[in-house]
Amino acid sequence: MTTFLQLMLNGLGKGAVFALLALGFVVIFKATEVVNFAHGSLVLFGGYLVLVTKDTVGWAAAAVIGIVSAGLLALAVERLLLARSRHADPFSLALLTIGVDVIITEEVVRRLGVSLPFIGDAWDAKPLQFAGVTLFRTHLVALGVAAVLITAFFLAFRYTTWGIALRAQAENPEAAALVGIRRSRVTASAWLIAGLLAGVAVLFIATQDFSGAGLSRGTHSIALAAFPAAIIGGLDSTAGAIVGGLAVGLVDALSTEYISFAFAKSAVFLVMLVVLVVRPAGLFGTRETTRV
Amino acid sequence: MLVLDRVTLRFGGLVALDEVSFTVTPGSLHALIGPNGAGKSSCFNVISGLYRPTSGAVRLGEQNLLELRPHRLAGLGIGRAFQNTALSTHSTVLDNVLLGRHTLTRGGFIACSLRWTRREEKRHAARAREICDFLGIGAAVDQPLGSLPYGVTKKVDIARALAVEPNLLLLDEPAAGLNTEETAELAATIGQIRTDLGIAILLVEHDMDLVMGIADQVTVLDFGRVIADGTPGDVQTDPDVIKAYLGATT
Amino acid sequence: MSKLLWIPVAVVLLALPLYLDASWLKAGQYMMIGAVGAIGLTLLSGQAGQLSLAHGFFLLVGATSYSVLSGTDDDLVGLGLNPLLALIGAVAISALAGVAFAPVAGRVRGIYLGVASLALVFLGLYLGQAAGSLTGGTSTGRAPATFELFGFSFSNEGTLIVAGVPLRGTERLWYLFLILLALSYWLAKGAVGTRIGRSWRAVRDNEAAATAMGVDVRRTKAGVFAVSSAYAGLAGVMIVLWFDILKPDENEFGTYGINTSIAFLAMAIIGGLGSIPGAVAGAVVVYGLPQLLTLYSTDLGWFTGSVTPVLVSSFVYGAAIVLVVLFEPGGLAAIGRRIKELRS
Repeated sequence: MTTFLQLMLNGLGKGAVFALLALGFVVIFKATEVVNFAHGSLVLFGGYLVLVTKDTVGWAAAAVIGIVSAGLLALAVERLLLARSRHADPFSLALLTIGVDVIITEEVVRRLGVSLPFIGDAWDAKPLQFAGVTLFRTHLVALGVAAVLITAFFLAFRYTTWGIALRAQAENPEAAALVGIRRSRVTASAWLIAGLLAGVAVLFIATQDFSGAGLSRGTHSIALAAFPAAIIGGLDSTAGAIVGGLAVGLVDALSTEYISFAFAKSAVFLVMLVVLVVRPAGLFGTRETTRV
Repeated sequence: MLVLDRVTLRFGGLVALDEVSFTVTPGSLHALIGPNGAGKSSCFNVISGLYRPTSGAVRLGEQNLLELRPHRLAGLGIGRAFQNTALSTHSTVLDNVLLGRHTLTRGGFIACSLRWTRREEKRHAARAREICDFLGIGAAVDQPLGSLPYGVTKKVDIARALAVEPNLLLLDEPAAGLNTEETAELAATIGQIRTDLGIAILLVEHDMDLVMGIADQVTVLDFGRVIADGTPGDVQTDPDVIKAYLGATT
Repeated sequence: MSKLLWIPVAVVLLALPLYLDASWLKAGQYMMIGAVGAIGLTLLSGQAGQLSLAHGFFLLVGATSYSVLSGTDDDLVGLGLNPLLALIGAVAISALAGVAFAPVAGRVRGIYLGVASLALVFLGLYLGQAAGSLTGGTSTGRAPATFELFGFSFSNEGTLIVAGVPLRGTERLWYLFLILLALSYWLAKGAVGTRIGRSWRAVRDNEAAATAMGVDVRRTKAGVFAVSSAYAGLAGVMIVLWFDILKPDENEFGTYGINTSIAFLAMAIIGGLGSIPGAVAGAVVVYGLPQLLTLYSTDLGWFTGSVTPVLVSSFVYGAAIVLVVLFEPGGLAAIGRRIKELRS
């Protein structure tokens, strides 16, 4: 029973991190209908900046630098590349993000070389004992941080003018433009948020607790699990991203324990396939209606 | 003969179509008109299988169309042209029109890639050119669609629907986006299709003038209901129709 | 390309083994592998508008199927079939694997399929490791049967001298690959120009219109996915013959992983989505560059430490994708057309 409890907590902890990634992903999709394949490279970039700055400025400041840089990189990608191809459809823009992903990922991986650094200094490898159960501090902090960020996001999404603008644009871009919502601003803010969230997520992913592997190409591939998370919840549903993220975390933890570590990677993707077949729009997504 | 029998379509709480019934007789030009939001497009999408009605039936002869997956309709001799043309802009006119021959031809990847269908392709291409000539766009057949004026692409769309060799042609607001001159030309083309080819046409149209000049039978929808059904003359003098159209503007 | 231009191209390609040494031929063969796979992907993503990142997986399916069907190893599963039958079987099995994905491939649209297909890459990674009796496992892999055509071996066996040049394994494999590429190209051209190609484009451009014209959208999507998988499967067979070993990946970035899938997508995009000659040109860029840079690496002297030919090539094709989307969505194919128009 205690193992099961540990498992659930591990799963939810990981799931919270996937939820952050999936949320960023969904925000971009909602605002622009672009599937961002460069999400994993934002994660790597944020992590890399933490790594190179933490010895000089200390971990906490480095973490902030990493988060902000990932956000700024996302913003730069949107402003300098996507925004300049106004005539391109979301399909082409998604392809463009694949190109961006290749460049950023290869460069960060090259710079990392053979080192596989862990970057979750504040919480990594500091297990807690609670009622006879050993708990990973990383997962607990991840849950807490994710809860705070996600709550803040939803409050902003619901009550601020920014949130209204984003929802309006997602609902009906032309009408939103007519009432004076500036598409470029909404889009840029969506990318910025996605980047910031990716920067937060990497602080938990590249840890011994989470993956047992430091910052590397593997981090990018872990971040790919944001795809199944977003698809399971529904690509255009922010609440779905949270549920999807938690589901992916749990599936990952349970299949690692009960099947095998090697299988766990494909397990989350297989769950995604099942969801796609049964509900192509995801659990909370809106069904696309055919318009002619 | 196309029969709509008490077709009701609901989207959540909204009733888009309310017990709509009418019949398109063979060889006739039947117009479906109504103010904006009356349910014309919904009705059209029900007939072409894109929407499933909540209740009611749509029959073509003996066949209940609602039992079929929508792609089977072309094979039954129903051709459809689209409001926004819905063509492949990068392909040539011929390529677009040939798509209409899909159900009249056979051949998957193996047959096509090994050129087994070459002779058949030629035969159907010849027929497609014939249809384009009939519609007066023969000169543009080998041009990429993207390079042509909108009026011509409208005709390409109709040519594609005719390439199905339909008994029933569905036209969805063909005059949308056309100027007066183009509209008049289109009206002539539609009339020609009916008289020369003997195809029944169901025309959904907003432009009253276009409809009244050429239609044999007119069904008027308002708020998802049939408020009048008869010859253009009857319908034009129907007080409910006048109210619906004028009421919409005042 | 005009019909007359084909003759000199064919003559040059046929004569190259008489002049180039083996390392250059190997590089050329690698590009041909890329071209075969890229043609399949450009049909799926360009003609039919469905994105796939699962090309690496189908490469693995083809590679494994060929090795199993033709294999004669004692401790591994092997049917010992004639290599030609094994090749055909491997292509058929890859197509069937594509068909098996139909519930997903037929239902989801465009970019969604790209995300969904990622699942296959991870599944392939797992299966490649778990099914060691088929793949030989990650530590040793398994050697594929040498390809043979009606008793003629594509190896160093026997002597065959043409114009004073001995044609050994590498030269012979060059001709085999050339035949396979020519066949792939010709078949794809035939499909694109006729009924099946029209149905693909119709599905890409407007599903409602395709349906109204009688195209079964779900079936068409599943079908083109299977065709593209068959091409990837053939490329997979070529890749085991090229490496002369089947070795399943240890992580998702190997021969059959995500990076490979992305490389194939890059070929199709750079060449111009939907263009078959473009896919070949894209393969020359994406798979040719690392090979050529490696061959010239000592002369160039660029490659020190972490900067490798593969890395530089990745930068080049990553940037090329971005540039193509931003400035020339028609890719190399469109550039080629423009040059042709300028000259005429």
